[in-house]
Amino acid sequence: MDALLTLWESTGVANLGWQQALMVVIGCGLIYLAIAKKFEPLLLVPIGFGAVLSNIPVAGIGGPDGLFGMIYSVGVQTGIFPLLIFMGVGALTDFGALIARPSTLLLGAAAQFGIFATLIGAVALNALPGFNFTLQDASAIAIIGGADGPTAIFLASRLAPDLLGAIAVAAYSYMALVPIIQPPIMRLFTTKKERAVVMEQLRPVSRLERIFFPFVVMILCGLLLPSAAPLIGMLMFGNLLRESGVVERLSRAAQNEIINVVTIMLGLAVGSRLSAEKFLAIETLGILVLGALAFSIGTAAGVLMGKIMYRATGGKVNPLIGAAGVSAVPMAARVVNRVGLESNPHNFLLMHAMGPNVAGVLGSAVAAGVLLALTGG
Amino acid sequence: MLDTTLVKESLSLMAIGMGTVFSFLLLLVLLLRIMSWLAHRLSPLEAQTLPATPMAPMTEQAADAELIAVITAAVTRYRSRWRP
Repeated sequence: MDALLTLWESTGVANLGWQQALMVVIGCGLIYLAIAKKFEPLLLVPIGFGAVLSNIPVAGIGGPDGLFGMIYSVGVQTGIFPLLIFMGVGALTDFGALIARPSTLLLGAAAQFGIFATLIGAVALNALPGFNFTLQDASAIAIIGGADGPTAIFLASRLAPDLLGAIAVAAYSYMALVPIIQPPIMRLFTTKKERAVVMEQLRPVSRLERIFFPFVVMILCGLLLPSAAPLIGMLMFGNLLRESGVVERLSRAAQNEIINVVTIMLGLAVGSRLSAEKFLAIETLGILVLGALAFSIGTAAGVLMGKIMYRATGGKVNPLIGAAGVSAVPMAARVVNRVGLESNPHNFLLMHAMGPNVAGVLGSAVAAGVLLALTGG
Repeated sequence: MLDTTLVKESLSLMAIGMGTVFSFLLLLVLLLRIMSWLAHRLSPLEAQTLPATPMAPMTEQAADAELIAVITAAVTRYRSRWRP
């Protein structure tokens, strides 16, 4: 009889609390969004399944001695996984549009306003009962506005490890929602005439410029903002692999095998942070709201900067491309292209939007570096 | 509980942050322009030499003739083997 009782106590049914059950349902919800709605499936499938597995009672897969717990402490807590992903992103990214028209960097800078406005929002949320965000927490939440998953995870792992699960889920969910969130804001701030502006073709970029580019960015980052050097350094290293043209194999490994393996590990490790006691808190709700705010403000700031450039250049710059300043490569650039086509069916803005788009990646990495340097303690 | 020192701190963080992001990327704009200028000084011809494809029509015709010969030989051999 005792043996039976012991067996019963070791089953999942006996130990399942409603919180864990709810987290399993949330994990399945993420997987549903990934499969049925194609929301960032590369990340939401591993994150969702990681959440399901980590909330199996007794097994302790997400605990410090469990599989995911160990992956988390090796790869995410140390910041290694997001940095490896950044290397892959660098190897996948063509910075040609940015080199051809460097002024688009300003659009990428303006869109980072979403990050810092959200920082204020997160601190102001402390006025409500149940919220108690420190400046570190607020910084980590704000970086969702950078629309850059790896950057958000990197910063959260440094500044607010407790909120990492919610921040990662919010960042990737909103990246998937870019095509829904951005267009209304873009239309609101631009006139039909501005949206129909046809931009002149980009000049060709020589191989030498492409090879110099990572060094220029790296030197500037090293001199001015060493706290952003891990992120920007890996991004530029990946890009050098791509553009040097002599290490085709390494470049392909960074673009495919390494980034794929790391994405699986990162997703599962992040999923293991979706435990009931950390995720089922009022803070999560606040993070989701603030994330949407960060995205919207970033888009608006980018478009407004685009309008300034439109005026300054005498109507040569289409203000829509400013919306691509919120990184989310290449989704945001595609959205810009689509909205541009609505106003002028012969106007293809995709290449022009890629400039601010990759500038946004650099911009959010710089913003992350600033936040890390000032609140990292 | 709204902590006013925290709000002040975050406001100054916003000012410093946006300032840094803008000045960093502005400097980068400048450096990229210098870099492009330098790259064009160093190898001004590179852009023009790339699109030129060194494929003369003469060699192309010769290659075609050779290709036809090879294919004919292959077809003949295939037929001889499969139609006894």
